[in-house]
Parts: sequence; C-alpha cells; structure tokens
Amino acid sequence: MNDDERFFAWLDGELGPAEAAEMEARVAADPELKRLADQHRALGSQLRSAFNPIADAPVPQTLQAALRPTAQLIDFRAAKRARSMPAVAQWTAMAATLAIGIFIGTRVPQESSAPVQAEAGKLYAAASINRALDTELASAPTGDVRVGITYRDSAGEICRTFTAPAGSGLACRNSGRWQMKGLFAAPEGQGSDYRMAAGMDPNLAALVDSTIAGEAFDEAAEKAAKANGWK
Amino acid sequence: MDHLSPFEDQLAALLPRLRRFAHALSHDAADADDLTQVTVERALRSKAQWEPGTRLDSWCYRIMRNLWIDTARARTRKNAREAPEEEGLSVGEDPRPGMEAAVDLHRVMAAMERLPDEQREVVALILVEGFGYREVSEMLGLPIGTVSSRLVRGRTALLAMVGEQ
Repeated sequence: MNDDERFFAWLDGELGPAEAAEMEARVAADPELKRLADQHRALGSQLRSAFNPIADAPVPQTLQAALRPTAQLIDFRAAKRARSMPAVAQWTAMAATLAIGIFIGTRVPQESSAPVQAEAGKLYAAASINRALDTELASAPTGDVRVGITYRDSAGEICRTFTAPAGSGLACRNSGRWQMKGLFAAPEGQGSDYRMAAGMDPNLAALVDSTIAGEAFDEAAEKAAKANGWK
Repeated sequence: MDHLSPFEDQLAALLPRLRRFAHALSHDAADADDLTQVTVERALRSKAQWEPGTRLDSWCYRIMRNLWIDTARARTRKNAREAPEEEGLSVGEDPRPGMEAAVDLHRVMAAMERLPDEQREVVALILVEGFGYREVSEMLGLPIGTVSSRLVRGRTALLAMVGEQ
C-alpha cells in the first residue's frame, strides 16, 4: 500500500488501530492533507445523496413481479390481465422433451410402473401420477404425488396440477384419461420438500395461467368433481 | 398476500439496493432496470448455488456486475457497427430527483458516468453501497491492492471532474 492508498484506507476506516492513529496524526499536522480529507468526505456524501434516492424510491412493479411467480398464480385474474403473452408454445415443446428425460428415463419403457405413458403421440398419466390425479384431494394429501390446484380450462376439461419427486406438471381430463399438458423438472439438487416450500414452478404457473377459465376449484368443488368422475 | 420463501424474501429486500447499484453501473434508467430484472431472474435460477449462511447481497451484486460486463461488452461490439440510439428513446422510470433539487447531484452522477468501468464499479461498491475493501475484492475476484488502487484513481478523478465543472 502506498501513501495515497493508506490515506484513503484511513478515510474509509480500513486501517488497523495503530496505522489509523499514525495517519490521523499526520493529517492533523498537515493542512493540505486535512483539506484533501474534507474534500473527499464531501465527495462521498455527495455520491450517496445522488444515488440513495434510487434505493429509497418504490421498486417498479415489473421488478417486483420478477420475484413473484407464485403470487401471480394465486391471483389468476390479475395475472391474466398483467400477462399479455402466454407461454403455450414454449411449454408444449418443453413438456415433450422433459417428460421423456425426467419421468421415464432416457428410454421410453413399457413397464407399468412408469408414471407417464406415451400413446399415439400423446402423453398420459399412469401409475402413481394417474392414481393421485384420480383420487387425491388437495385438502387431504397422502402419497408421494401431491395434487395442487384443480380447475376447468377454456375447453371445459378439468385440469389438475401435481407435484411428484422428480418434478411437477399439469394434466387435463380427456376421454376418461389424464392427458399431460406440461411437465417440469425439479431444479437440480433440490428435493421435493424444498420445492414445495419454494412454491409452484414458474413455468407451471404460467401454463396454468394461460389455460384456466375462471377460478380454481375450492375444496367443495374439488370433491364434487371427483364424485362426478372428473367430467 | 405474501407467498415468498426466505430466499425470495431476502432478494425482495435487496431490490432497492441492487437497483441503486444498477444505476451506478449504467447511467441509463431503462438499462438499469433491465439489468436489475435479469439479475433477479438469474439469482432465482441459480438459487441452488447460493450457500445459505453466506452474504446474499454480495452474491447478487456479483451476479449483477458480471451480467453488466457481458452487456457492456456486447454493446460495445454493437455500437461499433451501428449509430447510437437517440437518447429520447429510453423509457425506464428514472427515480432520480428532479432538476430543481439536484444540480450538484447531477454533476457527481455525470462525473461517475465518465469514469472507466473498472473504477466506477469499485467507487460505487465502496463509497455508495458501503462494502469493505475485502468484501469487494472477494466479490470481484481481484487482489485487494487492485481494489484499493482503482478506488484511489476513481475518487481522485471524480473530485477533479466535480471541481472543474
């Protein structure tokens, strides 16, 4: 550290006690240094006065929204108004690739335990995911696969979001089966507990947002839909 | 209604400061808010890489600074090919105080804009954001002596510019 650097380090409170005392004495004895110290203190407070109003100003909505995919999902109508471009095109492509990689493994297996099955170019819920979608109520979770929200989409089909250990997704009831509309991998290195605590995957939230008609079912509506065979 | 996890909560609390730093890096208000937004998005995506117990603020500032370097580099290449945009095109919210309040403030901000990037970021982090030399050295991956000498050059140049106007 040269003399200049030591002087400024002193000014910034970065010197140890002994060095600081030494510099303090030098400055006290030197009017030129003292003037320089005053000028730089004034510069520092000018800088802070110039930039602090930015930190004191309200954060624009667009920035706050970047943080709140979950909150947007809860308020469907507001979210719909706010969002002009649905992510539909993205998720369709994404769902197809992700489903194969994440839920089934790299080979598409025929064994009955795979929770997603491909048939005639479409993906359907099977095994644990199918069971959960058929029977689980959001208000009374039991197994590994949890159902999130249930709603009717704009085509009139009943759709349900779910969370499985490997990821989350959306399936809609079509001709007596749960057809996959989107599958999203859990972020790497994060277990399902963590993911649940962090809220719904933002891609899934966007997908729900772009397909929902009206409001999500409440507890009673969910039960009634189940009793009616999800028609 | 608040459904944020602790990570998002902390990030939300940092937004005003991150935004202030973005405005120091980029003198254009629209650019600064874009930079803040991509920083938030990157932080959310990379959240698994953040070690709980370490400082989230330093981690986010580093993300922002690295994103800014990438942007600035891309822009330099772009500007080399195209004429600069009209200044009137920027549409971000400028939270800085109005003219009447702020001749001196305007002067010091204008001086900041004229500093080389590597001095401006150190001046902003230490004199505005209040980080210590050691923290900035770790954040930027620079020896502490480099931080200290850039700070000396930056603040000396600033004082000269503010004085001369």
